Amino acid sequence: MSLTEETEERAGAVSAALAQDRLGIPSVVFFVISASAPLTVIAGVVSTAYAATGVTGVPLAFVLLGAILAVFTVGYVTMARHVVNAGAFYAYTAKGLGRPAGVATAWVALLAYNALQVGLYGLIGSAVEPLLSEWFGISPAWWVIALAAWALTGLLGLMRVDVNGKVLAVLLLTEVAVVVVFDIANLLHPVASGYSLDVFGPSSFFVPGMGAVIAICIAAFSGFESSVVFSEETKDPRRTVPIATYIAIAVISGLYALSSWAMTVPVGSDKIVATSREQGPGLLFNLAGQHLGATIATIGSVLFATSIIAALIAFHNTISRYIFALGRERVLPAAFGRTSPRTGAPVNGSVAQSVVGLAVIVICVVFGLDPLVQLFFTVGSFGGLGVLLMLAATSVAVLAFFSKNPGLENAWRIRIAPGIAAVLLVVVLGFALVNFDTVLGVAPDSLLRWVLPAVYFIAIGLGVAWALALRANRPEVYANIGLGAEAAVGESK
Amino acid sequence: MVEVDLSGPRLANDLFFVLHDDTTGRMRLSSRLTGLGLAAAVLGELMLTGRVTVELTDGWVGLALVDAAPTGDTLTQTALDHIIAEPSHRFRIWLQFLARTAHTDVAARMTADGLLHPPRGRLSRRWAPVLANTAAWPGGRLNLAIQRRQPLDLQDGVLLGLLVATSGGQLVLWDQNPTYLSASTAALPAPLQELIAQTEAAVGDSVISRR
Repeated sequence: MSLTEETEERAGAVSAALAQDRLGIPSVVFFVISASAPLTVIAGVVSTAYAATGVTGVPLAFVLLGAILAVFTVGYVTMARHVVNAGAFYAYTAKGLGRPAGVATAWVALLAYNALQVGLYGLIGSAVEPLLSEWFGISPAWWVIALAAWALTGLLGLMRVDVNGKVLAVLLLTEVAVVVVFDIANLLHPVASGYSLDVFGPSSFFVPGMGAVIAICIAAFSGFESSVVFSEETKDPRRTVPIATYIAIAVISGLYALSSWAMTVPVGSDKIVATSREQGPGLLFNLAGQHLGATIATIGSVLFATSIIAALIAFHNTISRYIFALGRERVLPAAFGRTSPRTGAPVNGSVAQSVVGLAVIVICVVFGLDPLVQLFFTVGSFGGLGVLLMLAATSVAVLAFFSKNPGLENAWRIRIAPGIAAVLLVVVLGFALVNFDTVLGVAPDSLLRWVLPAVYFIAIGLGVAWALALRANRPEVYANIGLGAEAAVGESK
Repeated sequence: MVEVDLSGPRLANDLFFVLHDDTTGRMRLSSRLTGLGLAAAVLGELMLTGRVTVELTDGWVGLALVDAAPTGDTLTQTALDHIIAEPSHRFRIWLQFLARTAHTDVAARMTADGLLHPPRGRLSRRWAPVLANTAAWPGGRLNLAIQRRQPLDLQDGVLLGLLVATSGGQLVLWDQNPTYLSASTAALPAPLQELIAQTEAAVGDSVISRR
């Protein structure tokens, strides 16, 4: 086990020169929040959560999930100080729970992130079609728009265009500004019965269907796995990463809770479910149109579309890097670890993700599935369930890691907080599984509600089996599980 | 470590030629991969000339000074001075540090030595080779050796390793025979193997990095 040196020389010409390129707290916060695409969540996820689950406690769900994730983060960022190249959840589970658990987590991550990514192809149509019909009088089928977005995402992925930091910052700030303006407008136009904080009351949340809300809302936080990836690139990893992660969680959960409540204010918390079912993701913009005029609503709709595209690209890049890292470890075939010489993109990982996206879009078209309900909502919630699984596994891995390496940090960081987080996440996961019929909108005795969660357990089983096969046949590959690109040098610094 | 004749072609020059078009001087790889490769080649020159070596202690990989004698060349001397001044950095930091300026620095040395034309225009970052044959030779040498399955000398072994580690092999090599490539690297002394492995890991990191 090689642990990060506590003190590395920070003075000197070399460090000073490198420090110029390093990230401060605001940059990391930006990266994390933008990966969660605020407008996509508020317009797309929130209205869909109200509509599909019939539960009005969505704002409370964001507050509770934010709190749980903050507790989870305590152990998560502490482990980041002690694990080399902690690139992702699977590196943590490999370290804490053993390499087979690492491979299993990687498989779950690939499934979950792909589900969240392709789910967005179901949403993009409903964001772009109203704009096209308003401007050009055309209304193409959802899958035409989805394929255009797919082609753009795949192309940018191959060119290794990460939406550039500055573009990202501008987009994100505009998105947040629009959301805040919409919120204020909503809050200034309450229904006749006045303001109500019902949606924050436990009685509106602890109802059947609550697990479904959680599975949907957790997806809104999925960008935050990436915060520790920046450890090596920050000015002061011990400080920057934890603070940035807490800020990001606070901002995300606060903004989502406020906005999902604000949406109920002009509609009425008793009517929010029915109205969401009627208007879908358009609800946010219809309300804005009533209160602020058509121009502002249109600006919001345009940003909704760009926000989804940014999220598509972010997820695409996350997935292609996961595949690349696994290829470098030789856990996946070495070809997936290939770099594009001209662009430095993880080329085969990127192509693989695009193939998955295309296949799902084609399947939906062939079977005539509804893009919003069956693709965005069902597949997206399936992805959310995977994120929950990874969070729960990672919090247990943190506990296990520090029980194997005791005395490194204080008890709150390595036992109490990770312990609480693990219990809460397992409970939350249980609720999500129990309510999975609501997630899918099927009858409680439907077979499908068990089939989809079972996919994850099959993936876990196959991951463990694959790792054990590697241990038996290719021990040098087994030893590198969880190291990512560092597999080239083995477990060193 | 075996000393290499300093009057002969230098590793970083060779890699520069291989990573650029031999007539136009166009960069074949993305600039961050080129920078990492050339940074590794500069460290490789210091290692091949017996100035520094890789130090491995307890899973910690750094650079250790072997011989502080002047290198007789501004580029490697500057790098060596930095290593002498701040010996405690790990290997990856040196790669990242040198990668920031390696492309310009190596091009400047080669321009001063009359191997490259200075860039045309102030904004251009393209140095065209003076003689296309000279520029094509390092890559040709590697390709011929691979084709004939002949072993490479020490410096060309490192050159090939760095070319493959930066992913340039996909563009330059006629035959990316995996057996030959791995045997070639395995034949190198351990510190030079570590140089190549560190470069491969740094390239992988830069692919995964979100910036």
